[in-house]
Amino acid sequence: MLSRLKFILASLAGAALIAAPADAQLRVVTSTTDLYDIAKAVGGNRISATHIGEGYQDPHFIEAKPSFVLQLRRADVWAFVGLDLEAGWMPLLLDGARNSKIKRGGTGHVDVSRAIPLLDIPRGNVDRSQGDVHPLGNPHYWLNPENGRRIARLFREKFTQLDPAGASAYAANERAFSQRLSAAERGWGDELAQIKGKPVVAWHTSWRYLADYTKVNIVGFMEPKPGVPPSPAHLAGLIQTMRRTGAKVIVMEPFYARKTADFVAARTGAKVLILPPSVGGTKAVPDYVALLKHNVEQLAAAVR
Amino acid sequence: MVKIVSVFGALLSVASALGAQVQPPPPRDSAARADSIARADSLALVKELEALQRAEADTSSTTSAGPQGASNPRLLPDISVVGDFVADLSPEGSTQEDGSRLGVREVELAFQAAVDPYFRGDVFIGFNDAEGVGVEQAYLTTSSLPLGLELKMGRFLMPVGKQNLTHRHDLHTVEYPYIIKRFLGEEGLKGTGFALSKIFAPLGFYQELQMTAVDRFGERPEDLQTDEPINKSLGGLTFSTRLRNYWDLSQSANFELAGFAVTGNREEAFAEEPVDDINAIPVRRTVSGVDLTFRWRPLDRALYRSFILQAEFMNEHRSSVARALRIPCTDACAPAPPPVLVSVSARTHSGAYVFSRYQITRRTFLGARFDYLKDPEYGGDRTKSASAYLQFFPSEFSKLMAAYERFMPPAGSERLNRILLQATFALGPHKPHPF
Repeated sequence: MLSRLKFILASLAGAALIAAPADAQLRVVTSTTDLYDIAKAVGGNRISATHIGEGYQDPHFIEAKPSFVLQLRRADVWAFVGLDLEAGWMPLLLDGARNSKIKRGGTGHVDVSRAIPLLDIPRGNVDRSQGDVHPLGNPHYWLNPENGRRIARLFREKFTQLDPAGASAYAANERAFSQRLSAAERGWGDELAQIKGKPVVAWHTSWRYLADYTKVNIVGFMEPKPGVPPSPAHLAGLIQTMRRTGAKVIVMEPFYARKTADFVAARTGAKVLILPPSVGGTKAVPDYVALLKHNVEQLAAAVR
Repeated sequence: MVKIVSVFGALLSVASALGAQVQPPPPRDSAARADSIARADSLALVKELEALQRAEADTSSTTSAGPQGASNPRLLPDISVVGDFVADLSPEGSTQEDGSRLGVREVELAFQAAVDPYFRGDVFIGFNDAEGVGVEQAYLTTSSLPLGLELKMGRFLMPVGKQNLTHRHDLHTVEYPYIIKRFLGEEGLKGTGFALSKIFAPLGFYQELQMTAVDRFGERPEDLQTDEPINKSLGGLTFSTRLRNYWDLSQSANFELAGFAVTGNREEAFAEEPVDDINAIPVRRTVSGVDLTFRWRPLDRALYRSFILQAEFMNEHRSSVARALRIPCTDACAPAPPPVLVSVSARTHSGAYVFSRYQITRRTFLGARFDYLKDPEYGGDRTKSASAYLQFFPSEFSKLMAAYERFMPPAGSERLNRILLQATFALGPHKPHPF
């Protein structure tokens, strides 16, 4: 009788142990596909991750759909880009989710921007006459691989804090991610050297970090101010700038209408280069390393 | 910083090397001169270091490791202001309540912040020429109740239908649909009390149950007086419930269907002559209905294309009540006069609207709405309205709208053409309204 009881108890304990890894998975929700991919790379099978925005979607204007609330209400970690990129929809989702772990101050509230050296922090008085300005800095920072490493480090620290048992796995995963990134960087090193200093035009300020990394020179933006569609007067000035600087490439995201870019390109002999801004933006960029590789190679091919 | 240290170190090295070659002590006047030269060198060194610091600070790409420190060290609430301006260019005269052609319909001032780890506070104060200052909404919301619950306490927009949850200045039309104006109130229905909601998804899709208990059904009519408060007993409070169901049909399309009801006492004028100053009695009014919303917005073209189709149906029922009113009497009028029998008859009205809006460019939208109801303002006869809207958003924070409405009351009443222009703007971080 006693041996049977011991057997049953041992079986139950074994079942619990087998079940534990699945139950112990950290539930991670990210705002963008880039953060999602890096979180998956670091978390491995110790996390289950989902994302709110899609890679081919403007992250400023995601709709706060109730179905997203269902993703968030049981999340252990909510990782977002920050710097007001998600200001138009994040508060609704966090309030709706009623999950104290992921609200500001909670253990799972992860503002990734805190780990990033930022570009374009405005100086002096800031107001909306300057367009859709981000007063705390430019939020499109994931397009620099160094920042990808910083994001991975932040995720490793956070996942380890919440799941200490996975510390070694997270550290190993972070190293593997960094090595994969370094291998890719070695592959495009020559291309970077060839495009350093080349002038380009960008649609939005979202390409500043990529430009900072590749050392191409953004001589102008299609938007006169962030978030403000181009006016005829602005386009006339931009055309002059492109002719003067020799800029032959207009870089833009796929979710902007390209009619205006085509107009400028026709008058300057430039090429319109549509680049995915995020993982999954096209089928060619299924992960973060592929995104950077694709964008660097496409940019290099266009400006050479 | 590294540059500064490197330069300083290099200069020190140079200085040391030079110092190692120092000659025997010079004569006294030469010593003074050497001292001045050394001081000048030090000053030059300091100036060079300052210039280096300025050069680093003046880089066009200002960098900093993450947002430095607290972005709101004084713990101020989010403060925002919304201004709503309406111009009535209707050819037969102004159709505005106050008769104005051009007016600031409302300025709304909002203060929103976390109160503490347990509550969030939201206060909306409205200013307008007709009604002065009023508390539009002021409520505490819990932050961390278990089981997906949320409790709201204070004054808030009642979850009755879909559009009643939207501030008037945020509507896709200039005014609320007629079923809301007639059955709930000209500016919608607000309540002061408690609201409890729970989110659940046992069937695999989003569902939310919202229940409220508030002080009364809408604002008290100024010209009506009852012999006792309408909510003298707890049963006289107003209660509402709404069950919201949401489905994603695809990444681009979704559908929402909700059923709702609100019931409570309200002052209703009785047909008989006033008794003393009393001209009304508490009567139960119940409004129930369904609302549905279909949205389409392709994710890769979300800036340029979207479509919404929305409809609400409401049924309003007023119960019949007969009461014996006791005439107040002092010792001087003893014996007390007999009570007076007063009554309010039952009535039922219903109505609906259908609204759609299509985005034609990044900042321009075309909309249309059709209203139909058995109108209590016309004794329950049918009122119809057809309206069209052209919206232009210079940015997320400003809206310009032109509206035309053909108002068709029951036969025998004047039909109206209404032309309205609206300009709305927002200052500060006015938080987004519910989806």
